[in-house]
Amino acid sequence: MKLVIGNKNYSSWSLRPWIAMTALGIPFEEILIPFGTPLGNPDFKARLAAYTPAGLVPVLIDGDVHVWETLAIMEYLAEKLPGKQLWPADAKVRAHARAISSEMHAGFSALRGECPVNFRRPVRTRDISAAAQANVKRVEEIWGDCRAKYSGPFLFGAFGAADAMYAPMVARLSIYGIAVGDQTHAYMETMMALPAWGEWRKGALAESWIVPEDEADWPTVLTA
Amino acid sequence: MKLVIGNKNYSSWSFRPWIAMKATDIPFDEEVISLYVDGSREQILKHSPGGKVPILIDGDTHVWESLAILEYLAEKFPSAGFWPTDTKARAHARAISTEMHAGFAALREECGMSFWRPPAKRTLSAAAQANVARVQEIWTDARAKYGARGPFLFGKFSAADAMYAPVVQRFIAYEIDVTATVKAYMQAMTALPAWAEWRRGALRETWVIPKFEYDWPQVKRLPAEAA
Repeated sequence: MKLVIGNKNYSSWSLRPWIAMTALGIPFEEILIPFGTPLGNPDFKARLAAYTPAGLVPVLIDGDVHVWETLAIMEYLAEKLPGKQLWPADAKVRAHARAISSEMHAGFSALRGECPVNFRRPVRTRDISAAAQANVKRVEEIWGDCRAKYSGPFLFGAFGAADAMYAPMVARLSIYGIAVGDQTHAYMETMMALPAWGEWRKGALAESWIVPEDEADWPTVLTA
Repeated sequence: MKLVIGNKNYSSWSFRPWIAMKATDIPFDEEVISLYVDGSREQILKHSPGGKVPILIDGDTHVWESLAILEYLAEKFPSAGFWPTDTKARAHARAISTEMHAGFAALREECGMSFWRPPAKRTLSAAAQANVARVQEIWTDARAKYGARGPFLFGKFSAADAMYAPVVQRFIAYEIDVTATVKAYMQAMTALPAWAEWRRGALRETWVIPKFEYDWPQVKRLPAEAA
């Protein structure tokens, strides 16, 4: 299998299937197509068009099957590799995992807009809007509820697709120094301690491409 | 099972699991919550911590988010054919369903779903026009690749059709120019008895949500008898 992704520093969508596959030991070849600058540059679009009609990363390629959209990729992997347990085994718990994964997939737009994933940015507190604060509150509630119900350390016990869906959220809360409760902090530490997290981050920090749209402090580019 | 939904006229998210269950003859009770009025949020929170409709309640399992509901039903009722049986077709169906789930923001913002709005054109931004083009591409591509055995995206009715059902209504309500292939697909959707049943319910509603009425304070609407 091949996974087509964007810049590791910025591409929150790409991080999801990448960390899911890496953390679960699913082998794949990585194809990185940098966004370049400015966003939407013709080269990125032209190169990506060879892999997907939707024009978005990530894309999973398995023989003649091309799957785009992170959630669809998770479902594809869950079916193909049932032993990897991307979703919890119990039907009720699985429904919960899918509900919060979908909620992530289509929600939290204020927080995502104000705190773009940017691994290179040193941890620095940023003031966020009331809407983004409400997003943070809901994310903390989702994580806290899962870890209380299913005993942690990940959302549903062992690492799975739901954790992968929320991985960029862990990065955002960390990078922008968002104030969170102890339980939330403990979950973030668990995620950031994954070897796969370290590997992705290392790749992100080695990149030199700057995307102004995702630099919250623009025209300043904060680097460690 | 019980499905908690919002106003039939406006709630595009609610429409998805509702039409999926009706079109595949899955029995359920419905509870309609009038949205954006005093107390509606509290009413929703009683059923789901996400604070949003729709919510499927099956015994002590509460599922929110339309896509998660469809996955739950697909597992519980494998014979309903929510997803295509072929692996490649199924991956495609999930990809376009998910693309709908998080995408097409401009189109959704500029062409809010409304069943009672008398169809009329509206000037669209370039972003919304690009959304329209992509939706037509998705439908046309699925019909060409997987639609040979019926009039729907993957031949017979599937979860992917349910996910796009609100877009079909948007195209109708805002008289979006479409190709003959797309028009034929839209007609297959609107010919579903489930479609007519939802529409009838929508046209009979009296709850008006000002922020979703583009001509506010005027409310242009088809008469209930039009259904």
